[in-house]
Amino acid sequence: MDTSVGRRKVHRNIYYTDAGSEYQHDVSMYKVPPSNSIYLEEFEELAVERLQLLRILEESSAKGHRVYSEDWKSYIKEELAKEGLKKFLRLASGYCSQTELDFQARKADYISHYILRVAYCRSETLRRWFVNRELEWFKLKFLAQSHQGFMKFLQLNDFTYTPIRPEVKEKLNHDLYTSTAIPDREFNTTDFFKVPFTEVLPLVKGRKVFLKQGYAYIPTSDLIVCILSQFRASLNESLLKFNSYLPRLDDDRIGNLLENLHYIHTGDVSYEDTQDALNPANLDSYAKQFFPLCMSTLFNVLKTQHHLKHFGRLSLLLFLKGIGLSLENTMELWRNEFTKNPKIDSNTFEKQYAYLVRHSFGQAGARVSYSPHSCLKIIMSNVGQGEYHGCPFKTWDPVYLKQKLTELGLGSQAVTSIVESASGGHYQVACTKCFEGNYGQAPASSINHPNQYFSEAVKLVKEKQEKKH
Amino acid sequence: MTNNDFNPDNLSFLLPVYYSRLFPYSQFHKWLSYGNPSNFQKREISFTLLGDVYIRYQSFDDEAEFAGQLCKKIPVKIDIGAVYSTKPKQRRLNTQITPVEKEIVFDIDMNDYDEVRNCCSGAEVCPKCWKFMVIACRILDGALEEDFGFKHKLWVFSGRRGIHCWVCDKEARKVNEEVRMALVEYLNVIKGGVNVNKRVSLPGDKIHTSIMRALKIINEYFDVIVEEQDIFGSEERFNNFLQIIDEDLRHSIKNAMKRGETSAEKWSIFETTFDDMLRKDAVPKHLKNLKEEIKLQYAYPRLDANVSIGMNHLLKSPFCVHPKTGKISIPFSINELNEFDPNNVCTIQGIIEDIDQYEIKSKEIKMETEEEDAKPQKVKDYEKTSLLSAIRVFEQFLDELDKDNRSSDQGNGVD
Ligand code: SF4
Ligand SMILES: [Zn+2]
Repeated sequence: MDTSVGRRKVHRNIYYTDAGSEYQHDVSMYKVPPSNSIYLEEFEELAVERLQLLRILEESSAKGHRVYSEDWKSYIKEELAKEGLKKFLRLASGYCSQTELDFQARKADYISHYILRVAYCRSETLRRWFVNRELEWFKLKFLAQSHQGFMKFLQLNDFTYTPIRPEVKEKLNHDLYTSTAIPDREFNTTDFFKVPFTEVLPLVKGRKVFLKQGYAYIPTSDLIVCILSQFRASLNESLLKFNSYLPRLDDDRIGNLLENLHYIHTGDVSYEDTQDALNPANLDSYAKQFFPLCMSTLFNVLKTQHHLKHFGRLSLLLFLKGIGLSLENTMELWRNEFTKNPKIDSNTFEKQYAYLVRHSFGQAGARVSYSPHSCLKIIMSNVGQGEYHGCPFKTWDPVYLKQKLTELGLGSQAVTSIVESASGGHYQVACTKCFEGNYGQAPASSINHPNQYFSEAVKLVKEKQEKKH
Repeated sequence: MTNNDFNPDNLSFLLPVYYSRLFPYSQFHKWLSYGNPSNFQKREISFTLLGDVYIRYQSFDDEAEFAGQLCKKIPVKIDIGAVYSTKPKQRRLNTQITPVEKEIVFDIDMNDYDEVRNCCSGAEVCPKCWKFMVIACRILDGALEEDFGFKHKLWVFSGRRGIHCWVCDKEARKVNEEVRMALVEYLNVIKGGVNVNKRVSLPGDKIHTSIMRALKIINEYFDVIVEEQDIFGSEERFNNFLQIIDEDLRHSIKNAMKRGETSAEKWSIFETTFDDMLRKDAVPKHLKNLKEEIKLQYAYPRLDANVSIGMNHLLKSPFCVHPKTGKISIPFSINELNEFDPNNVCTIQGIIEDIDQYEIKSKEIKMETEEEDAKPQKVKDYEKTSLLSAIRVFEQFLDELDKDNRSSDQGNGVD
């Protein structure tokens, strides 16, 4: 795989329609590594989206839905829709058509699969998790296919299974019947295929297949087991190979992302703002007391520099909305601060900045109410010159981080431990420790959302005050 | 002589004789070489020395080195592990080495039959309970051969009360643990531990070919087992049996069976009662195979899955001496299974005495015939003993392996 990821406009993006044969079908064996160059931003986005996909798959099983059951599938589709992962949703639906949208979806699927191969080849545990999820995803797409789609898949991937001859089936009829788990009505019409037993281990395990002399005789409906086992074998092999190549891949820009991908929380991505309305008079003290480092930083910049670049603005806006600041109050805060900036008069403000505020509150544009950004999104975002958004535990230099934490009044032991986690790429762990240092107690669950940080902090402090009274 | 005479204290002077004069080194080396000496060199062979000193990750470059070490260290037990990608003895300290090949092995221990055997307990065996081993052997052999196509199975008496099976086909040796796990699950019919009453379940109305084959074998012995083991011979045994049966059916079956006197009568009443219920449609669909399930639960082989799955798992080598019984772990032929008597297996003391007997006898013959100058034929020591037949079984197994090796080599040449 070409891992030379272009930053900004180094490489030209390849146009979708020139997609090769690997994008002809919704179900892919991902045989050849993609050679496209992609933007760094796209790379990160793809990585995170696939991670979300795989986590949704895992979640569905964790929710108690039997894997591949209808409930399991519909949960996944609902979640994909909820998270706006339209491309994956499309692939899970089995259209297998040939429109521009299909190609785009398949390309995203293909490339993101390979990005995660690099991220997940590093250890036995990661590999196992990844392979299991990928197998589920593969089968989910596969099961959605029509008969036509199925045949086309076989053909595209050079699966040339020839059914056993009718005389042979006749001769083995009794054994095939008693030893195959297949509804009676299908038995007479189905073809049977002879494959090495090692290719259908799940069937062997369950004693659901007729075996003779080391060969399994499987009905058409069980060919998927065979295909899956080949997919699994080639995936496992490739992951081991990737792992041995890893030392050669030392691109800092993506190395960090890939190394830590699995440990990034994607849970609670849509934070529900159930917060009571916030009195704007309290905002300043709240910011000092209860904001996580990422948000208190943005807030301070807003207050002192009277400006924030786009992503930082959006991030802070949504966060404030999430903690209960009303549209009116937010607008007022924004106007106050931004117009203190000599370059922005009230006219410019209305034209350039007010829109985003209304937009974020769902009062303009697409009129959807946006969710506050999760840690994942913040951690993954790119931070350029003059920008202050992003997760400080990731973006700040360890020396600076140490100094800032000490200024915030954290003990030296806590500071050391936080900086250590942060340098190890465990940003949210660092943040969780920070929380503990500030409030003397760990949060109910580890931090994966700034708004979670806020509400847990508020709750804890209130509880303590009530106890005092 | 019987093994009752064996005194474990004598091991320390019997073993050196056994290792220096009787152990079949060349056959052993030929076996684990599989046509290529490097297979032998990369094989882990571990020793247990007197006083429970355990040496793992040994390997030997050739027959001579192996023989030399055996004679020098005099292990009370020899275990065979996997073939590794490098010689285990050369592995660097604290590094993991990965197994690349290993026979698929099975270990069936009479211990695991204690819930169904009533003739003996613990370490003892008698011809009655040995039938369970015979059944296990035949069922496994049939499934391995017919379902999986494995031809080269070395069956070995474990030295006390169990049997080992080494599946040595090239295809078998190469498979990874995932395949081994699937294979073992396929063969494992008895599920659940001691707290589970019903341990075999065949829902649905179809019975898998492999299970049908097993049932056919069990049927040959089942009536005898019912009698010999007296499976309903006590209140407790009868109750244990009833626990297997679904509550809804239990009561009427119990009442009917009570009319029978002997275990045989009870069993036949059970069969007719249950058939009756089947005819009257009084049996829920998932219990239709209850008779078969019970037979399997009583007589189907109990496998130790871990031994079979783990490639680096060690298993006692053939031709080891059992330190408690003095019996030799001898290979046996599945064709002579019915005649195999675990209590009549040669012991280390016995075969060493055999040599002396032989030598006395041949001296007598020599004196009688008075052919002083006729050069005596060179006779190997084991040929003078009752170990010989076991070694012949082993050699025949090796010949078959060889034949297959050669023909597959030719096959490869043509391709
Ligand atoms: S871990 Fe999350 S909440 Fe904490 S600073 Fe980073 S982005 Fe903000
Ligand atoms: Zn007995």
